[in-house]
Amino acid sequence: MTRTHRWPLLALPLALPLALGACGGGGGGSSSTSTPVTPPPTTSTSFNVQPCLDQVAAPGQTVANLVIPDTLKLDVSQPNGFPNGRQLSDPAIDITLAFLFLDLTKTSKMALANLPLDPAGNDLPFRPAFPYLAAPQGNPPGLTPGGVNFVFRNSPVSSYVQVDRMGMPAVATVLISTATKNGYNDDSPAVDGTRKYVSVIAQDLTDFTNELEHDVAKTGLPLCAKGL
Amino acid sequence: MAFAATAFWASDWRVRAADHFDPPARTDPLVTATPDKAADIADLYTWQQGDSVVIVLTFAGPQTANLPATYDPDVLYTINISNAGAPTDPEIQIRWKFGKDGQNTGVEIDGLPDGGGPLIGPVEQTLSRNGILARAGLYDDPFFFDLQGFRDSKASGNLSISKDRNFFNGQNDTAMVIQIPTSMLNKGTVLNMWATTARFGGQLS
Repeated sequence: MTRTHRWPLLALPLALPLALGACGGGGGGSSSTSTPVTPPPTTSTSFNVQPCLDQVAAPGQTVANLVIPDTLKLDVSQPNGFPNGRQLSDPAIDITLAFLFLDLTKTSKMALANLPLDPAGNDLPFRPAFPYLAAPQGNPPGLTPGGVNFVFRNSPVSSYVQVDRMGMPAVATVLISTATKNGYNDDSPAVDGTRKYVSVIAQDLTDFTNELEHDVAKTGLPLCAKGL
Repeated sequence: MAFAATAFWASDWRVRAADHFDPPARTDPLVTATPDKAADIADLYTWQQGDSVVIVLTFAGPQTANLPATYDPDVLYTINISNAGAPTDPEIQIRWKFGKDGQNTGVEIDGLPDGGGPLIGPVEQTLSRNGILARAGLYDDPFFFDLQGFRDSKASGNLSISKDRNFFNGQNDTAMVIQIPTSMLNKGTVLNMWATTARFGGQLS
């Protein structure tokens, strides 16, 4: 349970020569004069995502430290705002994408949220006071409280089997591949701390970067990953 | 910036964000015949609110309006908080369970950091003790994301994303909300939090 150490740099072995190139996408970065193909050309370049994992996403926190272990971090000496905690209204997904893909020394973690890439906010306003969430949509039954003498299952914690876990938004879903998902959800942040999932996360991020680089480049937003 | 959206949505990795329907083999009705809806975490939130910290756990969604909340007495919900030592070793584990009094549903919240015993009361009612507020109930799903646009883009190969379309519009989740005085949590280090669900007797699939 206590094998957790801070790792300022993950130092991953990331020489991952993934040649996607499904369309025989041209190397050399030329925009090509050949006949256009229907799908966007994929790149045959492979990327090193180590600079992405090493970049600072929040004061004192690298991207790697934010996603491993998979916990939501809240420093109460700092202002609110994802990734310092996660408010209901924070564009957490667009911010997460920014620190996974963009060079934060050259652009803001808000670069994608400012587009915005996703809808910018919830469909209903949040309440300013407890319980903060908006009332349910429609007219569902069961909203009137009642009862006094409730009966609860009285079984030891050990008789339950873990089904799901969550800390950081989107980490388990974005950076953990399908084949690994059940095992990941069975584990705990303490297991994350053994670096068990470092290579899986790095590989998935590398795959996504290889896949998306061509289109991200068109936006003019700077990638954090470096071409190999 | 349409192509930015195209680029990101052209791959299939955000379809389940944030945690709705994940892990798919256990919770996604498109993947398993016995999805564990009650144990499916949707999202986890935390922030400072005045001199307190708020934590929100949503689950069992998104679901369409007019459906009732999901209160499964066989699922244990735990909010883990590490406030000292290793950030992965929780000093505080707040455990939530649902139970029945006839047709009425109640919630039992144990492990609160005021040192008291379980806090018990009806769902859809704010429970309080020593500055702590806690409530379980049905709420609008607070997540915003164009899942439909993603699916259309993937199927057609053409960008169908709209920042004006939120897949979670009109959808609800069951949720737990707790507000705790910061002084009960803060030991001078970053708070690390995560949530887990567990089912009595084993997984459904």
